[in-house]
Amino acid sequence: MKAAQNGRTKEVLLVEDSPGDVRLMQEAFHSANPSIHLYVASDGMEAMAFLMHEGIHVHAHQPDLILLDLNLPKMDGREVLARIKGDVRLKTIPTVVLTTSDAEADIAKSYQLQANCYLSKPVQLDAFEALVKSINDFWLTKVKLPQKRQSG
Amino acid sequence: MRAIQADGRPMEVLLIEDSAGDVRLTQEAFRIADPSIHLHVVSDGKEAMAFLKNEAAHVHAPRPDIILLDLNLTKMDGCEVLAHIKSNDNLKTIPTMILTTSEAEADVVRSYRLQANCYLNKPAQWDAFESLVKSINDFWLTKVKLPQPSHVE
Amino acid sequence: MITRELGESNESDAKYRGLLEAAPDAMVVVNQDGEIVLLNVQAEKQFGYRRDELVGQKVKNIIPEGFAERLIADALRSAEDALAQQIGTGIELTGRRKDGSGFPIEIMLSPLESAEGVLVTAAIRDITKRKKAEANLLQKVEELNRSNEELEQFAYIASHDLQEPLRMVASYTQLLSRRYKGQLDSDADDFIAFAVDGASRMQRLIQDLLAYSRAGTKAKHLFDTSSEEALQQALVNLRGAIEESQAVVTHDPLPNVLADEMQLIQVFQNLIGNAIKYQNPGVPRVHISAAKNDEMKWIFSVRDNGLGIDSQYFEKIFGMFQRLHKREEFAGTGIGLAICKKIVERHGGRISVESQLGHGSTFRFALAGSERES
Repeated sequence: MKAAQNGRTKEVLLVEDSPGDVRLMQEAFHSANPSIHLYVASDGMEAMAFLMHEGIHVHAHQPDLILLDLNLPKMDGREVLARIKGDVRLKTIPTVVLTTSDAEADIAKSYQLQANCYLSKPVQLDAFEALVKSINDFWLTKVKLPQKRQSG
Repeated sequence: MRAIQADGRPMEVLLIEDSAGDVRLTQEAFRIADPSIHLHVVSDGKEAMAFLKNEAAHVHAPRPDIILLDLNLTKMDGCEVLAHIKSNDNLKTIPTMILTTSEAEADVVRSYRLQANCYLNKPAQWDAFESLVKSINDFWLTKVKLPQPSHVE
Repeated sequence: MITRELGESNESDAKYRGLLEAAPDAMVVVNQDGEIVLLNVQAEKQFGYRRDELVGQKVKNIIPEGFAERLIADALRSAEDALAQQIGTGIELTGRRKDGSGFPIEIMLSPLESAEGVLVTAAIRDITKRKKAEANLLQKVEELNRSNEELEQFAYIASHDLQEPLRMVASYTQLLSRRYKGQLDSDADDFIAFAVDGASRMQRLIQDLLAYSRAGTKAKHLFDTSSEEALQQALVNLRGAIEESQAVVTHDPLPNVLADEMQLIQVFQNLIGNAIKYQNPGVPRVHISAAKNDEMKWIFSVRDNGLGIDSQYFEKIFGMFQRLHKREEFAGTGIGLAICKKIVERHGGRISVESQLGHGSTFRFALAGSERES
């Protein structure tokens, strides 16, 4: 289903430092739903600046969905998650951990920090694409998302 | 793809829903999506907490892999149940999804503030409902990495 | 002070003193005041004293601590029993030589009735060598454990970290193939196809390597496990392969064993999966049974009517990534049996195969039974 809910285009913030993974995600989202705007932050600091509308991100929109890799330079993904879920304005944005690790410790920790869900990046390309399709299908067409605040 | 845990356990879903009609629909939809899923039903918030804490009649209840929670419940309001779950260190890691008729923005925002994992509107049409449950199964029970309960031997 | 002069006394005395002198261990007889009244030549050697230097001395001088306590423990034994008994059940104390140096000893005490009252005979063994050997062994075991852990960690880290860049190579070569197949020249198509294939194979190898390293690291505790339930779960997991090959899998009643359930399921799954895969034309048949051996262990047998294995490969097949067939003939990286071997050995058992080319194979592995026998 490609139609955007309520007619507005969905915006996804991808927090990912591997350019290869960023491109894969862009390709996969494009084939799942070309109308989505995918924003990319390549480390935790940039992600927080984007979300808090700081610096160059002063006109940024609040995303409908955050996809967060755990292994980030500078600020670790777990810290980003903790900050998002600790901020009264940001905690309502569905934050999906999308990372290579499938270690139980990482999974448990993410749910404790109230990640909305945890996904492990599949090794095979077609499984990866199917996953992105699934993310689009569930979170961007079926889930009722909180309405966005306008940025300042 | 079958909804099955790595150790062969079937998936356990807890539905907190007081409308018998909706319960039946949900059971049907899950059966179609994957008959191996165990769907447990409780009809009010108090029973839900008893189930989750293994109290009274629910002393042998399994820990659910996901929880589907209606907001319109008698006795304890759905939001209260959500708040209880998310303030309990042991239970808050269980993905808890609101599945309700209300589309009110206030309900949506409040649920996400209380850290509901997601908010879903119950579709009025059967086809859409069946498709939604299929989607829940596909995403949460075959793709998502769920937290494992620690083994108590 | 009670002493016995040489040449004095009756026949049984002489017998007793003869025994004492001939004993391979140091023998010391102590009176109720804790004084040494008699000793043998071994005692002289062990403690570095001349006999006359020790007779009349307190036994505390050569065994500073623990003597009295041991005495109470052993009070009920007769002299003959004590002397006849293996010292292996004694307790360990410290002896002190004439030069003041200490050494580890093991002592056995027994009462000795005499005309002068109850005396105590102490058999004393110098266990310095034994203690050293024990310490050595312990150290070797610790080193080995540490080395094993390091190897497993290495395998885990290597395969885990290799997955990332590999995922890039595999994904992008596949994307290249998809998007540009037929648009570049045919050489390019070939080159890309080889790259895609190579990357996929590498991915499977790494996943198997990870599985292999996990088979050891998760050294969980062993519990009372129903091997029959484990078999059933393995068959559920093999549903697809069984249906596709129309295989017939049968089994005898299977016992409860001490095992890690998930790992046992994996062993069954790998063995039965292989049995189904490497088949002759016709219906693949697999039978699982178990029998107790004389060491009270359960020997499981997985017997099939498949291709069989040439005896020269009986050891090789349990090695990592060892295969006996071309990739085109049978899929797989050859890690399955290596994983089985690792798991079975972690459980304290062995795995082996009996087979004849063209006439099927029987794989056998041993596991300890659990106390609660079904």
